[in-house]
Amino acid sequence: MNKKAITMADIKHQKVLLIWSGLIVIYGVIFHYLPLAGWLMAFQNYKPVTGLLHSQFIGLEKFQRLFSDVTFLRVIRNTLAMGVINLAATFIMAIVFAILLNEVTTQGGKKVVQTISYLPHFLSWIIVTGILHDALSGTGIINEVLVHFNLINQPINFFAHEKYFWPIVAFANVWKETGWNAIIYLAAITSIDPSLYEAAAIDGAGRWAKIKNVTLPGIKPTIMILLLMNVGNVLNAGFEIQYLLGNGLVQNVSQTIDIYVLKWGISQGDYSIGTAAGIFKSLVSIILIVIFNNIAKRHGEERLF
Amino acid sequence: MKKKMVSALLLTSMLAGMFSGCGKTQAGGGAVNEDGIKEFTAFFAVPGSEINDDNEIQQIIAEKTGCKVKETWLTGQTAEEAIGTLIAGGEYPDFVEAGNGSVQMYEAGALVALDDYIDKYPNIKEFFTEQEWDQLRQSDGHIYWIPQFSNIYGEERVCTHNDEAFWIQTRVLKWANYPKIETMDEYFDLIEAYNEANPTMEDGTENIPYTILCEDWRYFCLENAPEFLDGYPNDGSVIVDPEKKEIIDYNTTPTAKKYFQKLNEEYKKGIVDPESFTQTYDEYIAKLSSGRVLGMIDQWWDFAYTAEDAIKTAGLEDEGCKYVPLPITIEKGMKNQWHNSGGVLNVSSGLAITTSCKDVEGALQFVNDLLDQDVHNLRMWGVEGVDYNVDENGMFYRTEEQRARSADTAYKASHACGYSYFPQWDGTSRDGKNAMKPAGQEAEFYDGLADTVKECFDAYGAKTYVEMLGTSPAPGPWYPMYTYSSTMTTSTPGGTAWTMMGEIKHQYLPKVVMADDFEKGWDEYMKEYSKCKPEDFIAEMQTELERRITEAAKYE
Amino acid sequence: MDSVGMKTMSAVKTKSITLEKTNTRRKHKKISGPDLAFRICNGIFMLLFVIITLYPVLNTLAISLNDGTDALRGGIHLVPRVFTWKNYQTVLEKDNLIAGAIVTVARTVIGTLLALVTNAILAFIVSRKNFMFAKPLSLFWVITMYVNGGLIPTFLLFKSLGLTNSFAVYVVPGMLSAFNMLVIRTYMRGIPDSLEESAQLDGAGYTTIFLKIISPLCKPVYATVALFVAVGQWNSWFDAMLYNRMRSDLTTLQYELMKLLSSVTNQSASAESMKNSTGTVTPTSVRAAATIITMLPIICIYPFLQRYFVTGLTLGGVKE
Repeated sequence: MNKKAITMADIKHQKVLLIWSGLIVIYGVIFHYLPLAGWLMAFQNYKPVTGLLHSQFIGLEKFQRLFSDVTFLRVIRNTLAMGVINLAATFIMAIVFAILLNEVTTQGGKKVVQTISYLPHFLSWIIVTGILHDALSGTGIINEVLVHFNLINQPINFFAHEKYFWPIVAFANVWKETGWNAIIYLAAITSIDPSLYEAAAIDGAGRWAKIKNVTLPGIKPTIMILLLMNVGNVLNAGFEIQYLLGNGLVQNVSQTIDIYVLKWGISQGDYSIGTAAGIFKSLVSIILIVIFNNIAKRHGEERLF
Repeated sequence: MKKKMVSALLLTSMLAGMFSGCGKTQAGGGAVNEDGIKEFTAFFAVPGSEINDDNEIQQIIAEKTGCKVKETWLTGQTAEEAIGTLIAGGEYPDFVEAGNGSVQMYEAGALVALDDYIDKYPNIKEFFTEQEWDQLRQSDGHIYWIPQFSNIYGEERVCTHNDEAFWIQTRVLKWANYPKIETMDEYFDLIEAYNEANPTMEDGTENIPYTILCEDWRYFCLENAPEFLDGYPNDGSVIVDPEKKEIIDYNTTPTAKKYFQKLNEEYKKGIVDPESFTQTYDEYIAKLSSGRVLGMIDQWWDFAYTAEDAIKTAGLEDEGCKYVPLPITIEKGMKNQWHNSGGVLNVSSGLAITTSCKDVEGALQFVNDLLDQDVHNLRMWGVEGVDYNVDENGMFYRTEEQRARSADTAYKASHACGYSYFPQWDGTSRDGKNAMKPAGQEAEFYDGLADTVKECFDAYGAKTYVEMLGTSPAPGPWYPMYTYSSTMTTSTPGGTAWTMMGEIKHQYLPKVVMADDFEKGWDEYMKEYSKCKPEDFIAEMQTELERRITEAAKYE
Repeated sequence: MDSVGMKTMSAVKTKSITLEKTNTRRKHKKISGPDLAFRICNGIFMLLFVIITLYPVLNTLAISLNDGTDALRGGIHLVPRVFTWKNYQTVLEKDNLIAGAIVTVARTVIGTLLALVTNAILAFIVSRKNFMFAKPLSLFWVITMYVNGGLIPTFLLFKSLGLTNSFAVYVVPGMLSAFNMLVIRTYMRGIPDSLEESAQLDGAGYTTIFLKIISPLCKPVYATVALFVAVGQWNSWFDAMLYNRMRSDLTTLQYELMKLLSSVTNQSASAESMKNSTGTVTPTSVRAAATIITMLPIICIYPFLQRYFVTGLTLGGVKE
């Protein structure tokens, strides 16, 4: 940004932009910032009966409780681990899929594949996890294949071992969302000037060179923006999927912050714990995006703000 | 250009405004609609079936009573969340069943005290004894809700054992010529012997000798057997020693250790399904439905309306794949209390009327009318000649077709109206002959039984599931204690301990059963368990036990 | 033509852009050996991908067409074992389903238009490099992605704004979203500044630039965002449950389906609710039927949007 002073001429020139900005800021304050008054709940012993204004103020007690609980520290670890693994897996798969799909030369095939690819997005987690449970059970297809090819002697009970849990969750996420997430990259690819491909072809670039030198740079801003946004979301690794796939044997690695909040907060009538955990997540998110935004800035890449 | 955009925006916002402007909020608070029918609203903080707006029996009841109630149910939220939002908003439906949020509603001053009204409504008055009404009083001495269920009129009529038991397929019992099975050891010996002689079903599918459902809250199928094995009834979370009037923790008794050791042995022998601890409820039901599972612990309602129906549909009942309960205890010759007679008064929640209701008397009059015998019959049985018939002796019966239709989801929505979360009777109808509900009608019940089950019952001299187990009366005025533990929250040390115990048991009990070295696994579990401070929980339960005994003593 | 520098050059010189559709030409090139290998591998990859992603959908379809009680036994993969339309009947006979569908269509259309217009305006504003508040305004919105006041405060706010028991609650609160704004902004930033500059030299104001220059170039990203918003609107039910529970004329399709589902699901630990919910259909089969019914319209509409982002032609055909 140029650090020059704002002149009256600028204001006059940008009048339309200013008016709209004003309206949008008012809207944002009302719908996104006003409800943050609810954060007060984290510092209170909130009861719906007494409401935000009259609940007992208890300072940081809820935060102290959270961070002195080993279980909470463990769920942070789980959430973070699954968040990062999921982010990496879904992110890379979506880009790879979008690029490869773009290389499909038959228009009909391309359309069909894309239409099918995003369909799992519309299945609820309960359906997806049901099928996954089926496939990974003792008599499921995965075990059958593995036994058939002598890769294992006995069927593996995948859901009984902690080490399989995170990969299974990541796979489920990839399975369900790759096609959907790729849509955005496919749209971005369309913005690439076709003449760039022509020029590259004239320079004798092969397919890989074109992908590397034209397609990837073309969608890089989109990749960067989505990456930055998602980095802020690593603590939102989910609730349903872990809840549906988890069981007592793997609960050390399966429970996420959201599950913890449900168990120790909401279902106990304790709203404050949930709010405190929410504030913690928000702070971590904002810190993360600020850090990564600055890194992007230093490298001259597209950034959030 | 600008104009165009502005006008587009205007148009959309106008459209939006139109939608928000028109249409009225559904009438409530006893508003009278165009047909002269009073309309109330109700919210139940439990999942349930919504009925159609033009439901036939609802209309008949409306014509008889002059009232109808639009019911809404919990969807996609926990009861606490839904009630919390209601309270924050400060606007309520006329009727509410707040489930776990009942105390919150009471504390918020959202409920109408009912004690001054009760005397004016004979059917409501009759619903509980003085003592029971007093048990419902909150700390301010008033009554705010009416528990709806398990209340017996006249003679008890019960055919199915709705609760927990060790279940076994009739083919296993038949193979061994219907032996007397009294202990856990005998139970597993029989299953082992049968499975060795018949490792597969008729079609060659391998049997699963014993499976354990362990998913989420349904893990009671694994964890609470020790209380029954010691001959105590289902107090849920604890054992109550009826002599010493003392709370006993069933998780740490010698019986608990024996039970889990047995499961551990059977697990190593391959009798316990290796997928027990990872299977989902759906997978468990699928296994039961395929007829492969020889035995398990469960509560009847948890599998009867799904797996038992599927077994029937697949024609597997002739192969003896249906389940019957066995009266099992840890030692021979002990009294078992798997089945208790009499109703259960669950004081922790019930139907309440909110302060938003503008016509409390009208609302209570409606509740009163719903307990009239003919309206009650409409709710539970349906329309005479359509949903059930009456024989020359005045006994109600249903044809196969009527029975099937009563389970049809779409038919129920358009035709049946049980007002299922309003107060209702079990037991015998006021005519002295019929049961209040079809499920209690013996002839009805026996008609629906599979031949293999009838044969099994005959062999043990039983006519119903209940007679397979025998019946004991409720052990004391405190029973059941779970109505207290289910309301505990982490706001007390006992409640915190209770939640933590649940977590640890979820995690360690499967490990104990699967352990290579049982003793080591058990010790580790006990170490973790004692860290939860179960004594805090026991202490709070003891206090409640004593409170209940003192309360009850006032009526002796 | 078709030199790399051509775009900038021409844009600076004239406001008319006349790039041609060029991608089809590559088809006629000779296919080299490695290229062929790539195509085959890519084809196999796509095939595997299609099989893996199609399976759950077909499985859901098979279950939706299978008798519910029979389906409890499991083991249904691609073909129903005991065929029935019963599950679809049950779903389609749900009371208020039509009313819900009408509201859902209305909220999808109005909500999508509203979201598209507002997000595009916001993205346009913050993508103007010389706008004085571009960065603070971006930050202001980015933060909203990561903070959330919680259920109850939001409920109280909507109530005091008079949004409860209204249609507006479906389309107004979620109208602007940082995610959609950023997606559009990124795309807009890829459009050469020179277009705006030359237009300004011709005396065009921001409104004209937005409507005449930028928006026509943003069709693919508008289509993407429209799809995201529309799908979100189509699938949402929580707001109907929370804010309009007592207004059966404002119910939505998904809320009605959710109610049906939760009524046949036995998630409550009580014998009473089990008895209450027994019926001829099971949660799994009804859920499958409801899922397929929900998916159908989206599958039908998608091809119309798809043309905006399957092919690699843009910039072409924008004339003034």
